[in-house]
Amino acid sequence: MGRMQFGVFSVGDVTPDPTDGSVPTEHDRIKAMVTIALKAEEVGLDVFATGEHHNPPFVPSSPTTMLGFLAARTQRLLLSTATTLITTNDPVKIAEDYAMLQHLADGRVDLMLGRGNTGPVYPWFGQDIRNGIQLAIENYALLRRLWREDVVDWKGRFRTPLQSFTSAPRPLDGVPPFVWHGSIRSPEIAEQAAYYGDGFFANHIFWPREHTQRMVGLYRERFEHYGHGDADQAIVGLGGQVFMRRNSQDAIAEFRPYFDVAPVYGHGPSLEEFTEQTPLTVGSPQQVIDRTLTFREYVGDYQRQLFLVDHAGLPLTTVLEQMDMLGEEVVPVLRKEFAALRPPHVPDDPPPHPAVKALRPADALRPADALRPAETGR
Amino acid sequence: MTRRLVVVSAGLSQPSSTRLLADQLAAATRAELGRLAIDAGTRVIEAREHAHDIMNNLLTSFASAGLREVLDAVAGADGLIAVTPIFNASYSGLFKSFADTLGNTSLVDKPVLIAATGGTARHSLALEHAVRPLFVYLGAAVVPTSVFAAPEDWAGSGDTADKALRERIQRAARELAVQMNHREPATVADPFALPAPFEDLLTGP
Repeated sequence: MGRMQFGVFSVGDVTPDPTDGSVPTEHDRIKAMVTIALKAEEVGLDVFATGEHHNPPFVPSSPTTMLGFLAARTQRLLLSTATTLITTNDPVKIAEDYAMLQHLADGRVDLMLGRGNTGPVYPWFGQDIRNGIQLAIENYALLRRLWREDVVDWKGRFRTPLQSFTSAPRPLDGVPPFVWHGSIRSPEIAEQAAYYGDGFFANHIFWPREHTQRMVGLYRERFEHYGHGDADQAIVGLGGQVFMRRNSQDAIAEFRPYFDVAPVYGHGPSLEEFTEQTPLTVGSPQQVIDRTLTFREYVGDYQRQLFLVDHAGLPLTTVLEQMDMLGEEVVPVLRKEFAALRPPHVPDDPPPHPAVKALRPADALRPADALRPAETGR
Repeated sequence: MTRRLVVVSAGLSQPSSTRLLADQLAAATRAELGRLAIDAGTRVIEAREHAHDIMNNLLTSFASAGLREVLDAVAGADGLIAVTPIFNASYSGLFKSFADTLGNTSLVDKPVLIAATGGTARHSLALEHAVRPLFVYLGAAVVPTSVFAAPEDWAGSGDTADKALRERIQRAARELAVQMNHREPATVADPFALPAPFEDLLTGP
């Protein structure tokens, strides 16, 4: 058995630090993302996921370049995306890029597909946002075939036809990367994830919990409908957003100037309102533990928790301090608590790639696993 | 038979003449519904009470729990009375912002009575060139008679409008009641409901 996965996901925004007006260069920000990923491995987190954007102020337009670099600099970290644009990327290129990455990373790769909600990106890449759902469905159906069939003949609505095409390299050991589908409020995407028995990831962080609850509920119900297992065995991931200091009042005072002008929600709800309405938790590590444990009350036992810690112009040193607290204080307790609550028939983690699974015996020696209640059937 | 009547009043001052007009329209509509043997529960929404949540919704793309409940009430209404002050030849910014949070399906085929207040009678056609097109765009069944009240219209006795305004209120209320009577109770689409099973999505439109 594996263990529940914890990690960080980065949107890769270049945002001025509102407390001193300093702005990182694109180079600074890209290197900061690398530092954050390396820190994730150092502090014992399981996953680093990068966003994909094709417009300033975001830097990560080329996820597999970054993840390939990280593959060479890490040993254990699972490299992922949040999200890979299934609408505007050519599915053939996704098939090639992520299979290549699998080989370089010895299987430590999965990816999360999303549609992207920046209107102009679609025409920049020859598409139309009004076809978003259909693009996601057709492109992914092709991507699956490219990874699973050695020779593909294909014809569709959005891409030029393929005759006798073989996507190379073939997936590592013939096993494609695990795929998550991310969506905030499109039931079609929850349905897509359920149909294929793939994972479903709820962004969760900019939206009220009712959205997440409804989407995950639909995904679980349909996962069972399509015969992949019981509803509670479906593979669910959630986002979260935290800022911590030892003393919760210090956390609030330090984070507020960043919150107040942050991209996406800045100049809108107060920190207090947003904390109440979304999973944002600003406070002590114990408060983050307590809040995160409540997520399972409305989505069920889940397999992956990613935290957003590096946006809105927060300095890198502050971000790394957050990750120390996550690794040292928060995640070890969450691992233990979530494991104790999880029924035995519910998977701890998404299905690992066989190449990674082969490394698993070493996991048994990890302190976190020793905390798992033994011989209780859990 | 029962129907749900919802009133949105976007007045800014308290007390406001916009609310006064809204209340008179609601009372007249209830009376007309009563003549049709319809018992109408009435809910009055003061947009001002949700002003921050409305702006937050525009900035974050989601409604707070309190605003969500209000938006659901509007979507679930069998008839809507919408009353705005006229500012700068159009609806108030608060009124438009509220409309912008409604979503583009919640008023489709919904009977709506539009009304406005203004500083002088010269603003009265703002109802026809600004407010009516907004609701027509949203697919509402806007009744032909709109109601505008200027300060001189309140010159009757106390809080009672003068005869011309009273008659106009009654005519508009009758039109709204008839439209509500002609329709089945409103149903609200679940945004999280699955539109089609995956095989249908896969084969495309």
